[in-house]
Amino acid sequence: MADAGVKPEVKNLLTNPSGWTSLLTFFILSLACLAGFSSRLFAVIRFESIIHEFDPWFNYRATHYMVTHGFYNFLNWFDDTAWYPLGRIVGGTVYPGLMVTSGTIHWLLNLLNIPIHIRDICVFLAPMFSGLTAIATYLLTKELWSAGAGLFAACFIAIVPGYISRSVAGSYDNEGIAIFALMFTYYLWIKSVKTGTVYWSMLSSLAYFYMVSAWGGYVFIINLVPLHVFVLILMGRFSRRIYVAYTTFYIVGLVLSMQIPFVGFQPIRTSEHMAAAGVFALLQAYAALQYIQTYMTKTQFRNFFLLALAGAAGLVFLAVIGLTWLGYIAPWSGRFYSLWDTGYAKIHIPIIASVSEHQPTTWVSFFFDLHVLIAVFPAGVWFVIKEINDERVFIILYAVSASYFAGVMVRLMLTLTPVVCVLASIALSKTFEIYLKDEQTKEEKEKEEEEQKEEKNDKLYDKAPKAKKKGEERTIEKSKKKEKEEAVGLNVKSIVIIAFLMMLMLFAVHCTWVTSNAYSSPSIVLATYGQDGTRNILDDFREAYYWLRQNTHEKSRVMSWWDYGYQIAGMGNRTTLVDNNTWNNSHIALVGKAMSSNESAAYEIMRTLDVDYVLVIFGGVIGYSGDDINKFLWMVRIAEGEHPKDIRESDYFTPQGEFRVDAGGSKTLLNCLMYKLCYYRFGQLQLDFRTPPGFDRTRNVEIGNKNFDLRYVEEAYTTEHWLVRIYKVKDMENREEKKLSKKIKRKASRKTSRNKRGSIKNKPKIVKGKKPAKTTNKKKKN
Amino acid sequence: MEAIYSIPFKVLECPNLKLKKPSWVKTPSAMFVYAAVLLSYFLVTGGIIYDVIVEPPSIGSTTDERGNSRPVAFMPYRVNGQYIMEGLASSFLFTMGGLGFVILDQTNSPLTPKLNRILLLVVGFVCILISFFMCRVFMRMKLPGYLMG
Repeated sequence: MADAGVKPEVKNLLTNPSGWTSLLTFFILSLACLAGFSSRLFAVIRFESIIHEFDPWFNYRATHYMVTHGFYNFLNWFDDTAWYPLGRIVGGTVYPGLMVTSGTIHWLLNLLNIPIHIRDICVFLAPMFSGLTAIATYLLTKELWSAGAGLFAACFIAIVPGYISRSVAGSYDNEGIAIFALMFTYYLWIKSVKTGTVYWSMLSSLAYFYMVSAWGGYVFIINLVPLHVFVLILMGRFSRRIYVAYTTFYIVGLVLSMQIPFVGFQPIRTSEHMAAAGVFALLQAYAALQYIQTYMTKTQFRNFFLLALAGAAGLVFLAVIGLTWLGYIAPWSGRFYSLWDTGYAKIHIPIIASVSEHQPTTWVSFFFDLHVLIAVFPAGVWFVIKEINDERVFIILYAVSASYFAGVMVRLMLTLTPVVCVLASIALSKTFEIYLKDEQTKEEKEKEEEEQKEEKNDKLYDKAPKAKKKGEERTIEKSKKKEKEEAVGLNVKSIVIIAFLMMLMLFAVHCTWVTSNAYSSPSIVLATYGQDGTRNILDDFREAYYWLRQNTHEKSRVMSWWDYGYQIAGMGNRTTLVDNNTWNNSHIALVGKAMSSNESAAYEIMRTLDVDYVLVIFGGVIGYSGDDINKFLWMVRIAEGEHPKDIRESDYFTPQGEFRVDAGGSKTLLNCLMYKLCYYRFGQLQLDFRTPPGFDRTRNVEIGNKNFDLRYVEEAYTTEHWLVRIYKVKDMENREEKKLSKKIKRKASRKTSRNKRGSIKNKPKIVKGKKPAKTTNKKKKN
Repeated sequence: MEAIYSIPFKVLECPNLKLKKPSWVKTPSAMFVYAAVLLSYFLVTGGIIYDVIVEPPSIGSTTDERGNSRPVAFMPYRVNGQYIMEGLASSFLFTMGGLGFVILDQTNSPLTPKLNRILLLVVGFVCILISFFMCRVFMRMKLPGYLMG
């Protein structure tokens, strides 16, 4: 971090500063990697080397499958244990980059005769990639501003909580490697815009290919890069470099991205990608016009140019709309659409709105994840706008769009974090440059200014010298006065520097605190701390999954809410109905309906879905807030979306509109399956002497419906702290025995019309002396 | 070439029309762009999107042990929730910190006289310090266990 401060000293001390600079750069970068790696290890040290949360369990399972069965079998893998009766085509519905990356590392290590379990690679993959991200960020910032700012940025990104939240050891998820791919693609793109060579743009499209294979967030790149080109055209900064860079990037990137089975033909068929195609067409039109320009006079061209450009833009726009209307291009997907119309998901797609990381962001998350950087960030934008050039336009666009998206979804804080690090490092390095410079002599200053001038962009080149000359004249005039000022200024400046360093130190303290307290719990192993600091480990989840694995038939099907699908599959190795890959809303709604209807209605649904076991998470005993009762309203909402006749959300509230599980709660809620499964026998349990039996610690109420029996399911297993409860769905009951009356009927020996075996039900009886038609009429009336 | 151009004009007559670009359409200045960016930044970091979607009250209230209702500015213990005013107050602090850095940069320009320079320096520095420490105070109010243990 102190690179900017050390540099001048080193310059004075040694004759060959460049060697020292690169050594220092190397040293600082490797320290940043090391710090980033080790601060992500809290979870491993406190608990064990274990995969965290929900999605990582699927990724781990898929990686394990790939390593044991080979890559092509993995691509063709049809998983019949997920989404029972439907199954899931895993190879075609997954971004394989993550699995391939860790598989490659595993293969490489085994080749070198280093035996290592694939799980350990999966656990430590994200921390390793955080080091690579730091290096990519260094390169990007170096291209945008200076090497000093780059080092700052690398140090920031290594420890900033916004990125750590997705890349602690054990959180084996796409984002962990995708942020590296994102930053590296951006670096190569900036490089190719700067140089305008095919070589760099080919490299950037290769990096883009890696990004596409790793994460769905690649859509961000394929929209941001065209936006950059478009804004450059608008600003009149079109050049041959941009033309070469973008055309190469777009074509090669398009072809490469279509090689991923999950992406397939989307890049040419969905609206998310149409901006890129439109800008590509526009760029061709613009270049063609520039070519025509050489054959025309100026006045002719000016009229022609505006008209043609507007025409071309309009044509592209109309073509996209027309194709969308005709159905060749799919309209925006719901997830993407909810970014623009923020209320969309809440109304139309409850399943997207139900995920906590899709909630809109509050100010705390901004401060929590970025700390002081959030305040330095606008200053960085200021410096960049003040000295704008082609590649800095890019970082501004990135900053603006990412901060908007981060405001819409907490999850997208992740894409904002790198740009905040880059811009904050620019601002800080600029400020440090100003306040550390006084140690230099005047001559050096002038030299540096000249160097800076040479580096500056051609556009600014015209204007800059005038202002500078004036400034220089004045400084010479003032130079005598300044000698006194500097003595004062030096003190003030050192105070400023020290204060900034303190702030950065507090930033590091904050990052470590947040990492250790907020982002390092595996969430499948819980820990509580007693009064004296002793730690209790609650290992209920694994206990329950292990029970499932050992005690149930291997083909048995477990119904649970979709959050636990991946874990049941990964740890319990049992068939699930729904899981975290929420691709089929109606199937999830069916499970939600079963959970929220009463026992007998739920039993029918469970019979049709062949459910053997039901698993619920209940936190009332230990006060765990993420349990199924707290998630229950989302089940109701999702079920209501598909079955509005059977399930109504308002039934689950009290007339005052409250969601309560105590005696005042609504009858529908107190009798639904989820309530019964969670609170079965809970009324007999008294947790301590201050509270009545059946006191729910999560919601701090005494439950309303205590004494009930289960008719269609029976309790199979409850873990130590009641966190996971598993029920077995009973088989169909025997038919109710017909109650025999005491009178024993004598079987008539006569074959009257009634006792005939094969009598027809509504056969008209013929009674002598009556017309048969009348009786049938009467029957109809009845 | 000229012959091809003139074909449509054998039938059509050119209207005597002069289209002018309206005077207010011009590329915005850099500082205007920056002001716009800063304003939107202020709104976004204040969680304005959260306010629009979730519609929280501007200030919360609790009842104390005597039964009087007292206003509460911060929604404590909840990272995913906020009241409107706390969001705006803290995003004001973020923006103020950013402006502090910009002001600090201004002190460096050689054109400003000494007094102004020192004033600017003090103002910028105070801005940054206030925003930094107030943010920490806010954080303490929000999460009472912040940076402890």
